[in-house]
Amino acid sequence: MTKSQLRYAMGGIVALFILCSVYILPAYANKGINWVNNKTNLGLPTVPQSGFNLGLDLQGGAHLVYQANIENILGKDQVDAVEGVRDVIERRVRGGLGVAEPLVQTTKVGSDYRIIVELPGVTDVNQAIKMIGETPVLEFKEENNEPPRDLTADEKKQMDEYNKLADKKAKEALLAVARGMDFTEGVKKYSEDTQSINNGGDMGFISEAINPEAYTWAKTHKVGEISKDLIKSASGYNILKKISEKDGDKTVTASHLLICYMGAKGCENVTLTKSEALTKIQELKKQATPQNFSDLVKKNSTEPNAATSGGELGTFGKGQMVEAFEKVVFDMPVNAISEPVETEFGYHLIYKKAETTPKLYNLAHIYVKIKAKTDILPPTDQWKSSGLSGKQLDRAEVSSNQSTGQVEVSLKFNDEGTKLFSDITTRNVGKTVAIFLDGTPISIPKVNEPISGGSAVISGGFTLTEAKLLSQRLNSGALPVPVELISQKTIAASLGADSLTKSFKAGIIGLLLVICFMILYYRLPGLLSVFALLLYAVLSLSIFKLIGATLTLSGIAGLILSIGMAVDANVLVFERLKEELRSGKSIRPAMEEAFVRAWSSIRDSNVTTLISCVCLIWIGTGFVQGFAVTLAIGVLVSMFTAVTVTRTIMRLVLPLFGDKANILFLGHTKIVIPAPFFNGVNSAGISSEISKDPGFRRDDK
Amino acid sequence: MAVAVITAVICVVFVAMWGLKPSIDFTGGTLLELSFSKNRPTNVEMQKVLDDLSLKNVTLQQADSDGFIMRTSFLNEDEHQLVLKKMREQFQKDDNVVREEGFETIGAAVSQQLRQRALWAIILVNLGIIIYIGYAFRKVSQPIASWKYGALAIVALVHDLLVVLGVFAVLGHFQGIEVDIGFVVALLTVLGFSVHDTIVVYDRTRENLFNRGHKQSFAEIVNDGLNQTLMRSINTTMTTLLSLLALYFFGGPSIHNFALALLVGIASGAYSSLFVASPLLVLVEEWQRKKA
Repeated sequence: MTKSQLRYAMGGIVALFILCSVYILPAYANKGINWVNNKTNLGLPTVPQSGFNLGLDLQGGAHLVYQANIENILGKDQVDAVEGVRDVIERRVRGGLGVAEPLVQTTKVGSDYRIIVELPGVTDVNQAIKMIGETPVLEFKEENNEPPRDLTADEKKQMDEYNKLADKKAKEALLAVARGMDFTEGVKKYSEDTQSINNGGDMGFISEAINPEAYTWAKTHKVGEISKDLIKSASGYNILKKISEKDGDKTVTASHLLICYMGAKGCENVTLTKSEALTKIQELKKQATPQNFSDLVKKNSTEPNAATSGGELGTFGKGQMVEAFEKVVFDMPVNAISEPVETEFGYHLIYKKAETTPKLYNLAHIYVKIKAKTDILPPTDQWKSSGLSGKQLDRAEVSSNQSTGQVEVSLKFNDEGTKLFSDITTRNVGKTVAIFLDGTPISIPKVNEPISGGSAVISGGFTLTEAKLLSQRLNSGALPVPVELISQKTIAASLGADSLTKSFKAGIIGLLLVICFMILYYRLPGLLSVFALLLYAVLSLSIFKLIGATLTLSGIAGLILSIGMAVDANVLVFERLKEELRSGKSIRPAMEEAFVRAWSSIRDSNVTTLISCVCLIWIGTGFVQGFAVTLAIGVLVSMFTAVTVTRTIMRLVLPLFGDKANILFLGHTKIVIPAPFFNGVNSAGISSEISKDPGFRRDDK
Repeated sequence: MAVAVITAVICVVFVAMWGLKPSIDFTGGTLLELSFSKNRPTNVEMQKVLDDLSLKNVTLQQADSDGFIMRTSFLNEDEHQLVLKKMREQFQKDDNVVREEGFETIGAAVSQQLRQRALWAIILVNLGIIIYIGYAFRKVSQPIASWKYGALAIVALVHDLLVVLGVFAVLGHFQGIEVDIGFVVALLTVLGFSVHDTIVVYDRTRENLFNRGHKQSFAEIVNDGLNQTLMRSINTTMTTLLSLLALYFFGGPSIHNFALALLVGIASGAYSSLFVASPLLVLVEEWQRKKA
């Protein structure tokens, strides 16, 4: 490796270290970036803040294992049924319990199917279990057209009492304002309009359509005036104050005559071609005057209800008519009849009766609410139960429409369901029927004709996946697979937080101890290996975060353990380095030799740890997997940092110290176990001798 | 070597005498942790409440200064809630709040699966290691066949396993410490780590055999290898033990036993790779020579 290559490699290592540190500690990194931004105006972007995926043992929560009872389900349907249950459980915990990131997965153990549910942060496990344990509910509902009921005597009495009080309060407010109370103060004291109460009662500019009663009052009163009476609108009493007025948008009053032709939008029962229609309307234009326009419309217009309405369009503003129509009607003079106008509906003649520019008034109000019947009655449900539910559904399947090729979901009912479904579809031709799952509509198909065969098709632009999901849901409603809770574990959040801080602290202490040891024992190379070790720590954490591995207590233990093991490769190399130095080599060749020679040991010893990890991952419970995954990643990363990184750093640094080994590189002592130790199996003691190695000073003259 | 044999025998005796105390991970059952904010009831008071519920195999243990750990057979959710209700009815008065710190219940199906998988994992790890060492040492077949290195490494492993098992048999008997899935994990990690040590020693022996295989006796070569790797073995074990000690002392109670099993196993692993694996290699070579 040349010097510049070495520098690039070193630069890469430093960049990797910074990148990883920023990635695992975004909060601190952002503080730094903000500081730099404040000082220099560089405008560096900040790092997105996201934490590690913490396991249940570190953040608290519930872990549940269910066994699905699939005895009654045949062969390949089993997987579908279990996936269906999984899906339902996930929806229930997300929707019903509001757990943001539940983990719901299925596993097969022998011939058993299990569903594992992890609910981070959930401590009321009892409620969660109840929620999950319910069987899925599938219901068919029809449109609800019943008129709302009348008020009961009690409710009527309540309403009257409420309104009496409101009346009293409004009168009091009126009196107070009349006696000179500041209007804004009056608003604060009396108004029940929460949107304007802190704004002096300002309602903004209103048009006639928004609040007709207030608008009518404002027309006849001057700016700055306050109403002397209560102005009653549909929803309550108002005391009004006129703040200002301005011109609104122009409105037009008009009627029209339509001659449509075959193919025009909404044109029914007409046999005219386009050119015939044009000829006809041109003739009519010749006859039309403002006086006979209404009669002409009643006789000739093809609009469905023209005979009664006379083509009246009422008063309208801009944006309410189709563009071609609007353009003509707003520009033409009042009391005139237009030339034929073509729109997507056909040809029109327009009679413009009037044109006004209504005022808009900016008003403030003191508002006191009164109750009407609709405030008391519960909101009417759009859907009502039809009596048909998942109990009567035999099965649902994904199918495809033979003529269009569209993906559909076909339903098959049992005998009772067939009859019910036939009745429902007969009643609701042309209307919609909603299919509810767990109280949520999942499909709202339209009934085109009565269906008596006991099978139905839901079509509606499904993708294959959506259709599969829907049929799965329907089947799970129709064939609820009973599930049994076979294992559960809850961890209090406080316990989790405690474990997290403690294990984090243990990790830091472990790291520091190992660092001290390495520096004290191996001197300069030890110090260099510490850099590799730090890189190892941030790199492993980055990898966990990057692959989204869940960090559990056992995972942290694995990580801490692998800190100790990470330096093993360094220890192997450094011991080898000492040996090479003692045998008389100068530093650089000795170093290169040490790395090469130590590699086979490093490789072999790490492979055995990896073998253990693979077997552990296979055991497959959370605790074990967390540990094994982090340990395995740790071992792999450590091979990179301890060998490649340390070597690069050493190649860069060692030339600074000349060729001679000195105190910076060598420890002094060496324990020798004499060979006779092996001669007798019974020699239990270690006859060790600590001696200065005579060889090591050979270079050190 | 003799020390190792004696230790192993003693450990076997402990395990045979007292056995290990399996946790609910392997037996199935329930573990309920309660804490009492003001005054903790006595064992007798607790027992009385639990007797009314007619639960099976109940054991009670005081934990920390304010808690109880209760073990019993598998409870379904209704039974679980019933236990909590009774506890609160009985003890939650005068500002004494009964809190559920943790609840774990494991059905027979799950514990059986764990038991089987744990056993298989141990067997597979051993097989994997023998095969790998046999492969790694395939070029070294003189004077000892390469698979024998693997087999001897496993003998050293068995020693380590026995030590850990023995220690936990003693702890189980005197302190009620249980053997859970974490213990199995620790065992498997110790397997990997211990053989890791042994491999380093053997690897050096292998290298020495290549370089000067005919000039020295096998015993001398092994001894040299051992000496050359001695500091490395001690240092690696030191660094690992240092991080484990940090975990043991500062890592919190949940991870205590796990760290302990690892500490014992890894210390024993370092010992066995120096004082069991290598001497065995020499012994086997001597036996071979005598036979021939």
